[in-house]
Amino acid sequence: MQRFTPARRLFSEFKCSLRRQRRCFSQVAPNVIDNNDGFVPKMPSFDYSPPPYTGPSADEILSKRKEYLSPAMFTLYSKPLNIVDGRMQYLFDDKGRRYLDAFGGIATVCCGHCHPDVVEAIVNQTKRLQHSTILYLNHAIADFAEALANKLPGNLKVVFFTNSGTEANELAMMIARLYTGCHDIISVRNAYHGNASGTMGATAQSIWKFNVIQSGVHHAVNPDPYRGVFGSDGEKYARDVEDLIQFGTSGNIAGFVSEAIQGVGGIIELAPGYLPAVYSTIKKAGGLCIADEVQAGFARTGSHFWGFENHGVVPDIVTMAKGIGNGIPLGAVVTTPEIAAVLTRRSYFNTFGGNPVCTAAGLAVLKVIEKEKLQENALVVGTYLKERLTALKDKYELIGDVRGRGLMLGVELVSDQKLKTPAKLETLHIMDQMKEMGVLVGKGGFYGNVFRITPPLCFTKEDADFLVDAMDHIIARI
Amino acid sequence: MAMLQRRILKSTLEEAKARFNFNWYPILSPCASFSTLPSSSTTATAHDHVPPHLPPFDYQPKPYNGPSADEILAKRKRFLGPSLFYYYQKPLNIVEGKMQYLYDESGRRYLDAFAGIVTVSCGHCHPEILNAIVEQSKLLQHATTIYLHHAIADFAEALAFKMPGNLKVVYFVNSGSEANELAMLMARLYTGSLGMISLRNAYHGGSSSTIGLTALNTWKYPIPEGEIHHVMNPDPFRGVFGSDATRYAKEVQDHIEYGTSGKVAGFIAETIQGVGGAVELAPGYLKQVYDIVRKAGGVCIADEVQTGFGRTGSHYWGFETQGVIPDIVTMAKGIGNGLPLGAVVTTPEIASVMAQKIQFNTFGGNPVCSAGGLAVLRVIDKEKRQAHCADVGSHLIGRLRSLQDKHDIIGDVRGRGLMVGIELVTDRKEKTPAKAETAILFEKMRELGVLVGKGGLHGNVFRIKPPMCFSKDDADFLVDALDYAMSKL
Repeated sequence: MQRFTPARRLFSEFKCSLRRQRRCFSQVAPNVIDNNDGFVPKMPSFDYSPPPYTGPSADEILSKRKEYLSPAMFTLYSKPLNIVDGRMQYLFDDKGRRYLDAFGGIATVCCGHCHPDVVEAIVNQTKRLQHSTILYLNHAIADFAEALANKLPGNLKVVFFTNSGTEANELAMMIARLYTGCHDIISVRNAYHGNASGTMGATAQSIWKFNVIQSGVHHAVNPDPYRGVFGSDGEKYARDVEDLIQFGTSGNIAGFVSEAIQGVGGIIELAPGYLPAVYSTIKKAGGLCIADEVQAGFARTGSHFWGFENHGVVPDIVTMAKGIGNGIPLGAVVTTPEIAAVLTRRSYFNTFGGNPVCTAAGLAVLKVIEKEKLQENALVVGTYLKERLTALKDKYELIGDVRGRGLMLGVELVSDQKLKTPAKLETLHIMDQMKEMGVLVGKGGFYGNVFRITPPLCFTKEDADFLVDAMDHIIARI
Repeated sequence: MAMLQRRILKSTLEEAKARFNFNWYPILSPCASFSTLPSSSTTATAHDHVPPHLPPFDYQPKPYNGPSADEILAKRKRFLGPSLFYYYQKPLNIVEGKMQYLYDESGRRYLDAFAGIVTVSCGHCHPEILNAIVEQSKLLQHATTIYLHHAIADFAEALAFKMPGNLKVVYFVNSGSEANELAMLMARLYTGSLGMISLRNAYHGGSSSTIGLTALNTWKYPIPEGEIHHVMNPDPFRGVFGSDATRYAKEVQDHIEYGTSGKVAGFIAETIQGVGGAVELAPGYLKQVYDIVRKAGGVCIADEVQTGFGRTGSHYWGFETQGVIPDIVTMAKGIGNGLPLGAVVTTPEIASVMAQKIQFNTFGGNPVCSAGGLAVLRVIDKEKRQAHCADVGSHLIGRLRSLQDKHDIIGDVRGRGLMVGIELVTDRKEKTPAKAETAILFEKMRELGVLVGKGGLHGNVFRIKPPMCFSKDDADFLVDALDYAMSKL
């Protein structure tokens, strides 16, 4: 995510020239744009009509946001979208216009917006008991913890529930530090792990780091196959972690934390061979390996349920959030009984964590993923989508890289294939145009030049075609 | 910790049994073979012999067909870790809630005098809030603030209108810990200083940095906390200066002059300490301290996670009871009647420092929680919950004070509105915490049908913080039950 102000000035100039082009087009239905060669990408059909919207307008909302919400709160698009309804992989604006949600509320809505099974679980539990805390028993938390633990390999079977990814990562870092008696933690440059004090330290992109003390975290060279200095040689990058430990710490550390595929950082898959080598190094230094599965978890990568499984490792602690509840505020930390015992030294308590409604939703999500074979769908549709995007890369110089796994894909735009110069303006423009055509994607990467495609896992091949065709259509006109 | 706690509990109960020659007999349904006596009977002797009745309530819980308490406990032990503790020797399986009552697996009703730790503000499954949540969940659960949505804007506006002064920029988060973390970040960024000050006996969160602000050893893991110092607690009951706010305030001045560079980032306090045992800060304390802190360049943070939303009865916000206006206010718990929601409200000036970088909260301000939060504000106003808290609260405190005259074990009755604490001591002069007795009475109250909370560093304070629809009859039942239980000690 980049600073918008300087881009916007240049961007509006850019838009003006396009507007002139558009006036020559004939009248068309709102969700298609006619063009000179007649082919118009069309959104797949969908049998659902949202209820009419009678709430405040986009302008009213914007002015309230400016007055009562954070001045740093941003929106996507030059003309922000007022999203009022969602169904499966589609979102609807205040005019009832349908959009293909290729971002999933930031890789969060995994089963689909308002998936009936998940809504039913939420509604039924809310009507019975919303909250009482874990001071009393309730079956929802126990059933969900069991189901979640059963999805994890090895001895990872003790669950702590939190309310967000940040809370989960904070807890994981604290557990690692308590367990080892050490303070140093290593994370990877370009990572995103959260916005509280410990996690802000682990997060490694300047735009997310405030000028406050963030102690005890060291950042390793990013094993980025596209931009990294060692290409895809995972083991070469792993040596940096060894060096960090040998030279920058006492030789013993608390742990290592990473995403299997960096989300905010622009869908960067860690170079193959990196994690196994690093995990081995960390263990030798007495540290714990933390896998941040906030975005890559819950079947999103298609080939496996968890992102770390793609790298052939078993972490000591796994953190999750976002997709875990299809959008309900929920996070979790899963670890071994041995490591979990460290919290018995004092009392750890989370008032909302593990409440009946969120855990009922979480359990429903796991059931839906299994019942509807969403992992397989992510694999099949994701592979197909990646192939089509790769073909698009061959067609256009603007596309520097297509990467990712399953339905966690990234498209990096560059203005020079050799120099890999980030094409920030083009990214903004295309993103805006995609929205006009009815496709909502996300943006990421340190330079803000990567499209993040992390839709609900019910995304179909037709949706994938529509997305790629729309992108094709737009890039052709730049 | 749970193992340790259980061992301690077991031994204190045994110790108590030995000391008091106490014969356990299970109290079944209060409606058993007793004659019908009005629960608000004024004769003291009646309550010594007859367990009081729960006020009537016209509601039938759904039949429960889920796992039993034992099955759940076994799963918890296996999948939720040994650190997850619970109340009662034989933990309660709570399956349903309605307004100020909870139901266990057998359909038995309990008076919820703790509200899921001061969280269920309007009442369990309050119909209006339920409706808001259900309707919004059917439309859109989540999309994030990268798109517009009216729910977050409407809720932020409504919340800002409840604030005095220039407190009108709202940040939504998912918990009290997240809110206090954010407040601390704002204070440090805004002032350029690092030093935070909180009160001994305070509780501000369980995350790794809010642990620094929290000042009760039970909750503090041995990790680096950064530049945070804890000052003397202006505790009228146990504090060395009694209710003399000026002496306690001087402590803060001394800390700043001797323990810091002379400049601090901020000061944070609850107006009535929750986890710490419903301790009200000595009157006049905050006014003096806010002055001192501001002169040292610091900002003043009011933690309203427990005292907010009309609970104190006399005022909407706890800090108003001390006649101050903070720079930052944090809230959670009651804000959403149980929804995972927290908020930080501050001035545009302080908020502007957050614009230096990007801070994003994925779930914060989501449509469902915002809709729920807005419904809560409306219910509190419509049903005049604040006035109700003042009314029922003063009745409750009045009756508890009478009870204090009757039972020596009650060392202190304190609080405001429906945020009440009862501190038990074995010696009124020494104020020796009556830990064992508290544990026994705690269990006894559960058997009688009243679920209270426990707090204080020594675990000898009953915390009475029910859903704000708690009635006078409920209050009478609670006091009668306590009277009955104490008479049997």
